[in-house]
Formats: sequence, C-alpha cells, structure tokens
Amino acid sequence: MTLGDGVKAAALIFVAAIVQVSIFSQLHVFGAVPDVLLVSLVAFALLRGSVAGAIGGFVAGLLVDTASLGTLGLTSLVLTLAGYWIGRYGETTGRDRAHAPYLSVAVVTVLYQFGLLVVHFVLAENAPAGAVVRSLVPAIVLNLILTGPLYALVRRLLRPVDRAELSAEVQLLG
Amino acid sequence: MLASSVQRSKPPPYPSKARSALIRRTVVVVLVLVALTMVTIAFRSPTSGALHGLQGAGSTALRPFQIAATRVAQPFRDAYDYLSSLSGLKSENARLKRQYEKVREQAIANRALAVQAEQYKRLLHFEQQRTYPSAYRTVNTGVISYPSGPFAHSLTIAAGSSSGVRRNAPVVSGYGLVGIVSDVAPDTAVVRLLTDPSTYVAAFDLQTRVHGMLHTGTGGTLVLDQVQKQLNVKKRDVLVTAGTSNAQFPDLYPYGIPIGRVSNVGAEDTAEYLQVQVQPFANISSLDAVGVLVPKKSGR
Repeated sequence: MTLGDGVKAAALIFVAAIVQVSIFSQLHVFGAVPDVLLVSLVAFALLRGSVAGAIGGFVAGLLVDTASLGTLGLTSLVLTLAGYWIGRYGETTGRDRAHAPYLSVAVVTVLYQFGLLVVHFVLAENAPAGAVVRSLVPAIVLNLILTGPLYALVRRLLRPVDRAELSAEVQLLG
Repeated sequence: MLASSVQRSKPPPYPSKARSALIRRTVVVVLVLVALTMVTIAFRSPTSGALHGLQGAGSTALRPFQIAATRVAQPFRDAYDYLSSLSGLKSENARLKRQYEKVREQAIANRALAVQAEQYKRLLHFEQQRTYPSAYRTVNTGVISYPSGPFAHSLTIAAGSSSGVRRNAPVVSGYGLVGIVSDVAPDTAVVRLLTDPSTYVAAFDLQTRVHGMLHTGTGGTLVLDQVQKQLNVKKRDVLVTAGTSNAQFPDLYPYGIPIGRVSNVGAEDTAEYLQVQVQPFANISSLDAVGVLVPKKSGR
C-alpha cells in the first residue's frame, strides 16, 4: 500500500464516517439505518486486505465514537474485527469473485449488528435485541443496495493490487 | 525420454510468509487490545479523564465537517421528508375518512334516538294529561317496521303479549290516537292504523258535542261520518274518542283520546250527512315510538 493509497483510504474512511454520522444515521427506512461506512469498509478491506481492513475499521470506529460521543473504542472493536475478517476473505476465497462484495456486506451487516448488541449487553448498556432482529432484513437490503455503487467507487479510487502482495500466506496456483 | 527424470525448478520460497502472518495477527491483536482498553477507560470514567477530554476535542474538530455534511444533505433530506410526509398524508387521509364515516353514522344514530326520545317524551306528557283514561296503563315501545307501501296501513311494534299487550288495545302516540292492535306475538304486535279502511272509531266533537263514526274515506282522508246536516260542526273543532256509551256494548277505545282536528266541512244537497274531513293529530307516517293502552284490571 503506497502513501497515495493511504491518503485516499484515509479520506474515504473519513468522508464515509462523517456522512454516516451526519446524514445516514438519521435516515430510518423500515426501522433500519443504511450503513455507508460499513459498506465502504467492506469494499476497502476486500481490495486492500486484512491488515488494511483492520486498521481502517479501527479508525472508522474511532471516528464514529468520537463524532457521536459514544463509548470510545466500542465501534472500533467491532469494526476492526469486521475489517480484518473481510480482508482475509478477500485475500483467500473471495478473490476475483463478483459476488464477494455482496456476500461480505450481507454477512458483515448481521455480524456487525449482533457484535454491537453483544458489546452493549456486556457493558450493561441498552441492548434491544428485538429491535435489532426486526431491523436486520431491512438493514441487509439497504446495505446491499449501497454495495454496487460504493464498491465501484472504492475500486475506482483504490485500484486493485496484485494478489500476491495481499497475502503471502496463500499461494496462487495456475 | 519419459523415463528420464526432469529436474523441476524448485518453487521460490515465500520468505515473508511467516513474517506476514505474524505482522497481520499482531496488528489485529494490538488494535483489538487498544480498542478494549479504550472501552474499559471510557466505561470506567464516562464523563471525565484524559480520554474523555480527547474525545471532546476530537468531536469539536469533527463538528464543522458534520455541519457541512448536514448542510449539503439538507435539500435531499427535505425532499425525502416531503415524500415520506406525502405517503403519511395519504394514510392519514384514509384514516380520517374512516373516522368521519364512523362519526357520521354515530351522528345519524344520535339524531334518530333524539327523535325517538322526543316522541317518548310526548307519550309521557300524554299519560299525564287529564284526558288520559285512568283505567289504563301505557306500554311504551318502539316501532320496528313501517307500512311497506301505499296499500299497507299497519306497523309492527317491539312489545307483545309478554309486556301485557293485547289484541284490540288502542295505540297512541304523544299527540293522539294512532290505531289499534290487530295481532299479537309474545314480543311483537301489529298495529292497524287509523288510515286503514277497516278501522272505525266512535268520535266526539268537544266543541259541539256531536258524535260520529271516524273512518277512512275516499282518497285516503279521514272523515267523520254519520253527522246530521243540521248539526253545527265547524272547521278546527277537536275530535276525541267517544268511549263507551252503553255498558252492555263497551267500546274498544276509552273516552277522551285525542284524534284530530276538523279540517274541512262540506254538505251536498242530496246527501243525508255532512262531509267532515279530519286531520289526525298523530303523524301516522313518521312514528318511532308509540304507547299501547293496556287495562289496569285484567278483566277487560
């Protein structure tokens, strides 16, 4: 990952976090909120790998918690794991597969919602499981709608790198 | 050739393989630990401390960007709100229409009840009049079916033999005589109206003390028949039921029930009797409540 890439990635995460906190967080559709930050992070992690995904997730969470004056580190924790996991998926089985972004977004939406729920529950904060479950399907649908254009945008911004660079652990055959 | 062994070039080793995995895992573990530390600190001192101060400063720094994003998005948000309010207005409109229909039905029902209440009130007033036959009590009841056509001159009431209603019992409204009970069931009864051609009532002119027989004449108007030409019956005279004049032949109608007012008096040269037209006090065509006069003593 070059310096230019790093700057672009930082700008992407920053803008996505600000847009999410300022605009999309107030947009309730069928009880769910479209998560432009999560979708951007998934796209970024798929294109740049697990380490970049984890760092991106950490920074994104930090921005969200700072801007919304939430419990600092809480969103970071969940998004770090999400970014790392999606990055690993992109490095391994998800590579060059057209459905990878959509599958990743759908799965991460569920894991992210339940991850936040668990962390809030552990911290004895308000954790409305019923509301989370009810809003799950609309949230997946909304995020999947965002996936196509956002993935194309992020892919245009951050050109895909040689796969061998992403992971030395997985050897490419053929 | 085939048997000869071909020396394959050894694949290049992955020098960074183990190191890369280690770095990757280290990065994730460190980030997770940092996040957990921040969560712990933030949770233990949510409103004070260095971390809280840093968060506040960060929030202040991010504020202009948030405001800018909000302002940029405002027109789109307004459009979204407008569209969502439109769909909300549609559903609200439908809800209000349903509510209006309910209220309208309720209002009509209330008006109908008010009319009926007014008629019950008149009946009560009728009972308290001096002319009310003291040997009778009134069974007040509602009308449940009306004359179904121009040739039907009866109505059904919601009281029957279980309430003491008997055949040939006089039926009154708050204004005057309506008819007579012609058929009785346990909980309903049929009232033959004054306008029925088979109804005959012995009537008495309060002003001139003239007796006559009231019935429906040609054209459906009530006439007081058998009034001698020389008797001085005048327009606007009040007619009441004549009652029993001979104890051997008791009349169906007790004395003094208001019937109506003389509306026209005529005499033909060739006719033996006067032609006295009567306008009934009771509005026969719009009755909601009536009273059936039932004798207090069951001997009758």
